[in-house]
Amino acid sequence: MISDQLFFTGINVLLAWSVYIGLVTGSLSFAQGAFMAFGCYGAGVLTVKFGWPLLPACLVSAILSAMIAAVLGYPALRLRGVYLILVTIGITFCARVALENIDYVGGVGGFGGMRGADLNAVIVAVLIVGAFLLWFSFSPLQRICDAVREDDRVASSLAINVTFIRLLGFSAGAAIAAIAGALYGHYMNFVRPESFDVLLSIYVVLYVVLGGTNNMLGPLIGATLMTLLPEYFRVLAEWRPTVFGLAILAMLLFRPLGLLAFRLVTAHASVSAPRKSGSL
Amino acid sequence: MLVGLLINGLVSGALYALVAVGFTLVIGVLDKLNFAHPEVLMIGGFVAVVASGLPPYYAFIAAFATGGLLGLVVEFAAFRRFTDADAKITAGLASMAVGLVLTDLTQKVFGTESVSLPIGGGWLSRRFQIAGVEFLNVQIVIVLATAILTGGLHVLLQRTRVGRQIRAVAESPVSASLLGVNVLRVSQAVFFVSSALAAEAGLLLALRSGAASSDIGLTFGLKALAIMAIGGLGDLRGAMLGGLVIGVLEAFMFHLGLGRLSELTVWLAMIVTLMVRPRGLFSSGTHGLEQRA
Repeated sequence: MISDQLFFTGINVLLAWSVYIGLVTGSLSFAQGAFMAFGCYGAGVLTVKFGWPLLPACLVSAILSAMIAAVLGYPALRLRGVYLILVTIGITFCARVALENIDYVGGVGGFGGMRGADLNAVIVAVLIVGAFLLWFSFSPLQRICDAVREDDRVASSLAINVTFIRLLGFSAGAAIAAIAGALYGHYMNFVRPESFDVLLSIYVVLYVVLGGTNNMLGPLIGATLMTLLPEYFRVLAEWRPTVFGLAILAMLLFRPLGLLAFRLVTAHASVSAPRKSGSL
Repeated sequence: MLVGLLINGLVSGALYALVAVGFTLVIGVLDKLNFAHPEVLMIGGFVAVVASGLPPYYAFIAAFATGGLLGLVVEFAAFRRFTDADAKITAGLASMAVGLVLTDLTQKVFGTESVSLPIGGGWLSRRFQIAGVEFLNVQIVIVLATAILTGGLHVLLQRTRVGRQIRAVAESPVSASLLGVNVLRVSQAVFFVSSALAAEAGLLLALRSGAASSDIGLTFGLKALAIMAIGGLGDLRGAMLGGLVIGVLEAFMFHLGLGRLSELTVWLAMIVTLMVRPRGLFSSGTHGLEQRA
């Protein structure tokens, strides 16, 4: 059963990172459940109905999800803060209801027959995405994203295309979530639209909040802790939402600015002077 | 038939409106999104279960008090520390965490399945006819209760000292506190009132469907959130009208045989509204007293 636990940990880490990459550009997305569903159903259709191998199906569904995210995000990302949260929650609901009404992929009954993903596939995916994020956090792109997140007006005055950068973050997040969804589907062999509930999106965002949004390790730690700990402590498993909620509250209370008000601790230690920063 | 449909729509619209008004009150006065609101709605339904043996008005009083007290708890746990404008999202996330805890505790007490109310066949489910149109008693109760509660809210906001202070804080918390308004008391009052309304809505919802379930927070409650956005963030009139319109629209979509697709109505309407008119349909764009609270 240890491999099951590690598998779900890997999936949750991927999802947490997909939220993180959007947050880096300052957009908090609750649509991760929807993009996971796109990835899962997209890859599932390719492997089951068209007989593709898993890897290309995964990649194609990730690219498709990124494109869907770009189309949905282009108008949505003009909105910020509370409005963006509302729209992304709406996207998650719409995706679920839409999938429940498409008979081609089984409707409410669910969609099955995918197989082929195992623990190794997830480990490889986590390593690749992790390496990408590591490269990203040392690249100039990270600082462009920081600028966009902290103050988009200043960023655009520095000739940064704010819309493009935010769209890039949103789409990259969608692609990562889609890969997580594809692997999840091919491991479980059978999924239902209700697996990709809005509650899932909420949980994933809270993983990131718990772990911290300052760097790529935060989401990794948050997701790993919240997936693995309940497996080893009976009490935690029984009271999971309560313990989780209280942990989030404690985190937020003991860091009064909130984890989302970024303390600039980038990979470059020299600029780690804490400062009060703008809202999302 | 058509009239019956319209009445059905208006009844669920009234419930939507009751919840959306609570959302919009918090966002209009404090500029924060209260994600624990749907869970207070859900707990209101379980108040109906607990109080089902008592005379009905006890249930209404109990729901009002429970909701209000929960509102105070939510304010203390999730909003007290996050007052500045920067912490808007943080407060939303904290209230989401409180919502998780509330749901989990409720499920620990009542189980994850929905609990049916022992009122089937009672006075509430009796029907009568006026001019050939059939009414259920519970529908009348819902409409009356909504009218009384929103009327009471209007009087509270427009005619009382607390209401004046609430409107002052909605205009500008800083100026209000300079003029001697206790902003903390005001935000407690706002949370008390809005959560009490949500709990009443949960109670009425449970009476209508004959059961209380722990997942209506994420379905019905979040729909009310969308309606709040359609009506305009912080706009009471918009929330009321939006609730009624969406309720009727959904009833007709359901009648047309769209089934579960009608669930999409409110979300698509919200997304389109936010794209085209982020301030919401009914908000005229000014932050006058009448518009905001």
